[in-house]
Amino acid sequence: MKKKILVVDDEEDIRKSVKMILEVNGYEVFTAIDGDDLLNKIGQVTPDLILLDIMMPGPPVQEIIKQIQNIKIAFMSVVRISDARKRGLCSQDNIVDFFQKPFNVTDLIDRIELILADKKYID
Amino acid sequence: MDIKKFDLKKFILSKINRKITLLFIIVGLIAPSIAIFYFYNISISSYPESLSTNQAPLLRTIAITIIILIGINTGIIGFFISRSISRPIKDLYFATKELEKGNYNIKLDIKTCDEIEELAHAFNKTTASQAKLQEERKEIDSAKTEFLSITSHELRSPMTPMKAQLQMLEEGYFGKLTKKQKDSLAIVIRNADRLDRIIVDFLDISRIEAARLKFNFQETDIVELIKSTTKFMDAYAKEKNLSLVVNVDKLPLIEVDSDRLSQVLRNLINNAIKFSPDNSKIEISAVLDREYIRFSVRDHGCGLTSENQIRIFEPFYQVENANRRKHGGTGLGLAICRGIIESQNGKIWVESKPEKGCQFNFTIPTKPVKQIKPIKILFSDKGLIERKIKEEFSTILGPLGEVEFNELKSKNSLGRDDLVEYIDYLTELFIIPQQRGRDFKNSIEKILGYDKDEINEKEFMPCNYSNDEVVKRN
Repeated sequence: MKKKILVVDDEEDIRKSVKMILEVNGYEVFTAIDGDDLLNKIGQVTPDLILLDIMMPGPPVQEIIKQIQNIKIAFMSVVRISDARKRGLCSQDNIVDFFQKPFNVTDLIDRIELILADKKYID
Repeated sequence: MDIKKFDLKKFILSKINRKITLLFIIVGLIAPSIAIFYFYNISISSYPESLSTNQAPLLRTIAITIIILIGINTGIIGFFISRSISRPIKDLYFATKELEKGNYNIKLDIKTCDEIEELAHAFNKTTASQAKLQEERKEIDSAKTEFLSITSHELRSPMTPMKAQLQMLEEGYFGKLTKKQKDSLAIVIRNADRLDRIIVDFLDISRIEAARLKFNFQETDIVELIKSTTKFMDAYAKEKNLSLVVNVDKLPLIEVDSDRLSQVLRNLINNAIKFSPDNSKIEISAVLDREYIRFSVRDHGCGLTSENQIRIFEPFYQVENANRRKHGGTGLGLAICRGIIESQNGKIWVESKPEKGCQFNFTIPTKPVKQIKPIKILFSDKGLIERKIKEEFSTILGPLGEVEFNELKSKNSLGRDDLVEYIDYLTELFIIPQQRGRDFKNSIEKILGYDKDEINEKEFMPCNYSNDEVVKRN
């Protein structure tokens, strides 16, 4: 069965691009445009991974992720964030990676593959 | 300098109140003297001979006493009057000094009901408008930095989908590409990457200017850091068959931001690689120098002219070079290095001579600074050094200075060596006296950041540079 990934970003072109990349690499992809939409979508399907933009209009990401405990989350950010702050942001166990935008396509695929190969989080 | 000679004239006349008091004393002595002299003559001629001869000594004593008393009185009055004039002037003087230091809150309270009060009033008004201008300037400055930061973020956002799509094309997500399509795509990708690097550099600059660059100080093994950075750069050096030689002894563990330090080192090594001829070597060293660790990156490339040594740290300044187009950087690398180093209280400078390679040096304090300083990078000291030199020319040579300066500038001779030679030439022809020439040289050296006290020549010349090749930024 195909692994499911939910891409959350307020920019349509980014959602589209990431969806294209992931679909070619054999994932089933859903998209959400902000935090509320994200919560709404995970009510309908349970993805294996959420790719979440760290800065979006609407409810703050820090609040949203508190409500998601058993799905892996990987952040995406256009702002460069220091290692120290990254550690602070990865306070929850289910936050697994941090992608710097603009990302390298091959690197993105490799890392996602690695994250989803890890059996530990699969229920 | 010779010891100040005591000059009586200068001592008495150097202050306004002394001058006026002296004037009063002189007037106070001369006026009654003349009056009494006439009175004395008249009284002698109008009284009988015997009476006047008997009373003469008494009269003379009284006359002299009166003259002295009047003299003392006028002196005292003069002193108070002159003090009432000189005190507000002194206040004005100190207020001006404060203004010069940048204290725009100074306000004068002089109530003398005369021109001086008017002057003080005008001074207060000028200060207020100056303060307003200063405030506006600061606002514009922070708006500039803010603008830079926001636009850079906004510019970076579209890079994400753009680069993703380009990479997908390149990787064959949408089918195999012909050779021509591949070549075309490679150009687009290369330039998109370059654009992204410029945006990242702009973001760094906006952070440095706003003192928002985060430093994550952690105890670091400097030797290890240099070695790992050099190893990372080795891949690039191999393309030109360059050898990277690390010369480091034992160094203490110090608290630094290793990412930032490594960024500066990478940048300097990258530059050295760019400008090195094939098969040469690049030496990287670090030594403990009192409260600082001094790093240096030395290449054996084409070196820099004096003009370039001054301007190399300016943003967008790129040395004209045949290779330049080949490795077009953003032109912001060294400016950012300067920002990173100076905002944590270090210094960065270059030593070089054309055709003899160059050595970039920078220092990092062994104890990290608590307060990160904002450093101006864009639109700021571009030409600042030149402007200062120009001012110095005008002070020393008067109106002729500007003409001379422009001529030297057009000849590209504003390096330290050229200027020293020029000043020597002036003194030899007796256009300016020896002492003035020395002062001139000192101020020029100060402007160029060459400070004799700070450079321990032996220590600072690991590559056999003679000390006149040093151009140091402060």
